Amino acid sequence: MSDTATRVESSRKSGWRLLIIQIVAILAVLAAVCIWITVAPLSATERGTLAPAALWNSTVQHLSLTFVSGVIVLVIAIPLGVLLTRGPLRKASGPILAIANFGQAAPAIGLVVLLSVFISSGYWASITALVLYAALPVLRNTMLGIRAVDQRLIEAGRGMGMSAAAVLFRVELPLAVPVMLSGVRTALVLLVGTATLAAFVNGGGLGLLITTGVSLYLYSVLIAGAVIVALLALVVDWAGRVVEHVARPKGL
Amino acid sequence: MWDYISSRLEAIGFSAWQHFSLVAQCLILAVVIAVVIAALVYRRPALASVANSVSAIGLTIPAFALVGLMIAPLGFGVTPAVVTVTFFAVLPVLRNAIVGLGGVDPALVESARGIGMSRMRTFVRVELPLAWPVILGGIRVSAQMIMGIAAVAAYVLGPGLGGFIFSGLSRLGGAGATESIVVGVVGVVLLALVLDLLLVGLGRLTTPRGIRV
Amino acid sequence: MSDTTTTIEQAPAEVSGRPIRLDDVTKRYPGQTKPAVDGITLEIPAGKVVMFVGPSGCGKTTTLKMINRLIEPTTGRIVLGDEDVTAIDGDELRRRIGYVIQAGGLFPHMTVATNIGLVPKMLGWDKERIAARVDELLELVSLDPDTYRDRYPRELSGGQQQRVGVARALAADPPVLLMDEPFGAVDPITRQRLQDELIRIQDEVQKTMVIVTHDFDEAVKLGDWIVVFEEGARIVQYDTPERILAEPANEFVENFIGSGAGLKQLTLRRVRDVDVASAVTVSPGTSGKDALQKAENAGHGHVVVVDERERPLQWLSRRQLARIETIDAKADPALPVVGSSATLNDALDTMLVSSAGAALVTGRRDRFEGVIDVETVMDAIRDARANAANSEGAPVGMNSGSIGLTPSLVAAGEAAQVAPDAGSDSAAGAAGSTEGTTDTERGAAG
Repeated sequence: MSDTATRVESSRKSGWRLLIIQIVAILAVLAAVCIWITVAPLSATERGTLAPAALWNSTVQHLSLTFVSGVIVLVIAIPLGVLLTRGPLRKASGPILAIANFGQAAPAIGLVVLLSVFISSGYWASITALVLYAALPVLRNTMLGIRAVDQRLIEAGRGMGMSAAAVLFRVELPLAVPVMLSGVRTALVLLVGTATLAAFVNGGGLGLLITTGVSLYLYSVLIAGAVIVALLALVVDWAGRVVEHVARPKGL
Repeated sequence: MWDYISSRLEAIGFSAWQHFSLVAQCLILAVVIAVVIAALVYRRPALASVANSVSAIGLTIPAFALVGLMIAPLGFGVTPAVVTVTFFAVLPVLRNAIVGLGGVDPALVESARGIGMSRMRTFVRVELPLAWPVILGGIRVSAQMIMGIAAVAAYVLGPGLGGFIFSGLSRLGGAGATESIVVGVVGVVLLALVLDLLLVGLGRLTTPRGIRV
Repeated sequence: MSDTTTTIEQAPAEVSGRPIRLDDVTKRYPGQTKPAVDGITLEIPAGKVVMFVGPSGCGKTTTLKMINRLIEPTTGRIVLGDEDVTAIDGDELRRRIGYVIQAGGLFPHMTVATNIGLVPKMLGWDKERIAARVDELLELVSLDPDTYRDRYPRELSGGQQQRVGVARALAADPPVLLMDEPFGAVDPITRQRLQDELIRIQDEVQKTMVIVTHDFDEAVKLGDWIVVFEEGARIVQYDTPERILAEPANEFVENFIGSGAGLKQLTLRRVRDVDVASAVTVSPGTSGKDALQKAENAGHGHVVVVDERERPLQWLSRRQLARIETIDAKADPALPVVGSSATLNDALDTMLVSSAGAALVTGRRDRFEGVIDVETVMDAIRDARANAANSEGAPVGMNSGSIGLTPSLVAAGEAAQVAPDAGSDSAAGAAGSTEGTTDTERGAAG
C-alpha cells in the first residue's frame, strides 16, 4: 500500500522535474532570440520593426487575441459540453461531435478571412474565427471527460441521496477535470498558433512580423516572429501543464 | 455563387486535385517516416519518450510560423509547402505508431521469434499488422489536420485550394472575393471528408480480419 | 431462527432496522412488451438480511433499485417502516437508505474519510460529529482510522475498498441497507472474509439489509431469508435458507441450489452456535516450563499464546513447549483460526488443512475464544439434522402472514388484479422460462 503511495509521490516529483526542464529550455531559447535581435547586424527597417516596444506591443496583442477568445471558448464550450451529456440531449451529442469534427477540418485561415468579410473589425473577426476554431477540443474533452466517469460512481452518488446537480458538481466534473484541462490546453495552444492569422485581416498580433517579413523580404523579422510565436505556444502549453499538474484531483 | 463556381469549374477542380494530391503525397511520406522512426525507438523507452516529446512540442508550433520559417531557406513554391505539411503530418502518426507498436503483446513477438521468424520478419508480419489500427487512427488525425495546414501553405505560393482564400483576401470587398473564399473553405472541408472516408475504407481493407472490431 | 437469540446474547444491539414493504410494484420500460418487474408484493422484516437470488436479468436488481427509487416504479407503493415513500423526494429518501455496490463505488478523488462523511455532510452534521462518526465506522469495518482515514481509494485493496463502501453506507445510521452484488468484484478468499465481516457487523448494527447476489452459497451464508426470483422478478420461493435447502419449491429452485445441499446445510450454522472447548492461554514471555506445567494441570495437550489484546499468536503442543526456553511474541502465519461468525463449513475446511485437526476460534476484535474440533462439528451436523426435521412445522408463519407464502399470495393477488387469462398466460410463461433458465444455469456451470 505504502508502495503505491511512494510511487505516486515519485511520479509527481518527476512530473515537476520535467516541467522545470521544459520552462528552462523555453526561456533559454527566448533569451537567445533576444540577444540575437540586439546584436545581429540588422537594417534600419528591421531594427524598427523589432524594437522592444513594438515587439512587446505585438506580443500583448497576440496574448489578448488568445485569451479573449480562450475565455469565450470556455464560457461557451464547457456548459455546452456538460449540457450535451445530460438526459435527452445526450442523443444529440453524437451528430454534434461529428459535425464539429469536420468543422475542424475547415482551414483556420479561411475562417478568419471569411469572417472579416462580415465583421469589419479585424480584431473581432479574428476573435470570432478563433472561438469557432478552438471550441471543439474543449467541447469534445468536456463531453469525453464526463462520459468517461464510471457509471457506477454516478449510481453510487445517486444511491446515497445526492441530487443530480450534486453528482454533477461533486463527482462527474471533478473526475472529468484532467481530461477537460487537457482539452483547454490543446485549445489555448491552437489559439496561440491560429492567432498569427489575425495579421491577414488587420487583427494585430505577432503574425504581423511574419507577414511583414515575407512581404518586405525581411528574413530576420520573419524568423524572429515565427520563433517568438512558437515559443509563446510552448509557454502556454507549459502553463497549461502546470495547471493540470496542480489541479489534478488527488487520488487519481 | 453558382455562377462563380460554374465559370471556374476547371480551375477549382484543378486546385482541389492539387490540394488533395499534396496532402495525400505528404501523408504517405509522413507515414513512412513516422513508422521508420517509431520502429527505431519503440523498444527503447528513453528514445520513445524523446520522440513523444518532440511530437508533442512539434504540434504546439503554429503552422503559419513554420511556413514562414521555411521561406528563408527554401524560398517560395512547392518545396516549403511539402516540408511544412509533411512535418506536421508525421507527428500524430509517430505518436500513435509508438503507442501501437509498444502495445503489441510481447508474448506474440516472442512466439514469432520462437518459431524462427527473423527480427525484420517479425516486425513486418506480426508487430506492424497488430499495431496498424492504432497507426491508422493517427493517420486520420493527421489527414484532417494537414488539410488545413496545406491551405495556409498557399501563402508561400504552394499549390491547392488555399490559393482561393488568399486571392479572396487580396481582393477583399471586390467582386467575387467572398465567393472565392467560400470555395476555398468549403472545398477543403469536402476534401477532408473524402479523404477520411477513403482512409476508413483503407482501414477496412488493410486491417486483418482477426483484430477488426 | 435459533441464531437470533445467540446474537442478542453476544451483542446487546437493538434492532435498528425498519421493515420494507413493496406493494404490487411493477416496472415497465417503454418499448418493451413484458414488464421488467411484474406486480411484486414483498415484505422485508425489520433487522433481517434478505437475499435476492436468481439468474441474471431476472429483475432482482431492478427490484432492489426500486426500494430506494433509483429506478422509479411504474405502479405500486413502497413503504418504509410505516411511511409511504413512493412519492417523497427521491434524493431525500436515498439519504435515509444505505447503498453499497460492487467494488464499493468509492469516489476516487475523495479520501476515505470524505467518502464516508458524504451523507452526514448532506444531512448537515457538524465537522466534529462527522469526524467522530468516520472513525467509529472505520473501527466497525476493522480498518485502523489513523492509517486509513486520509488514504485515497486507489491506495486500498479491493477488500478494503469494499469495507469502506459498507462504512459509507452506514454513515448516517440508516435503518435500511441495500447492496447490489457487493462482493462480486473480489477474489474468493477476500469475499469469504468480507462475508464473515458483514455478518459480524450486522450482529452489531441490526439493520434491515437487502442484498442482491447470483451466488446461492452467498445467499445461504448471509441471509435470514432468501427470495428466489425467476424472469420478470417472479418470486419462486421466499423462505429461510434451511427450508429452501430442505424443501426447494420446484425444480427451478433445486437447480439453482445446485449439488451438495447437504453440505450447504453446514454453512447455515456458525461457529458461535456450537460449544467451543476452552484452552490454556499464556502470554509471550512465559517460560516453556511454566506453560507446560499449566497445560499438564489442565490436562490439555496444547497451549494458545495470546497477545495483550487476547489475540492468538501461536498454538504450541506440549512437545514443542518442552523444547522452548521462553515463548516469544511471534505470530504464526499458518495458525488455523476461524472467526466465531464463520460457518461450520469454513471451520471444517480450516481444520482439515491444519495439522492439529482443530481450529482456534476468535470473536470480536479477534479475541481468542476457544478451540473447535471435528467432533464438535459432527455433533452439530447431527443436531442440525434433527432440527431440520423439527423445523417442518416451525413457525415460519411468523413472517409468512405477509411474506412466507408470498408466491401463492402474489399469484393470487395477480389473478385478482389482472384479467384471469393474463394470469394463466404469465404462469405458462413462467414455466417456460424456468426451463430456459435451467439450461443457462447448466451451461454456466459447465
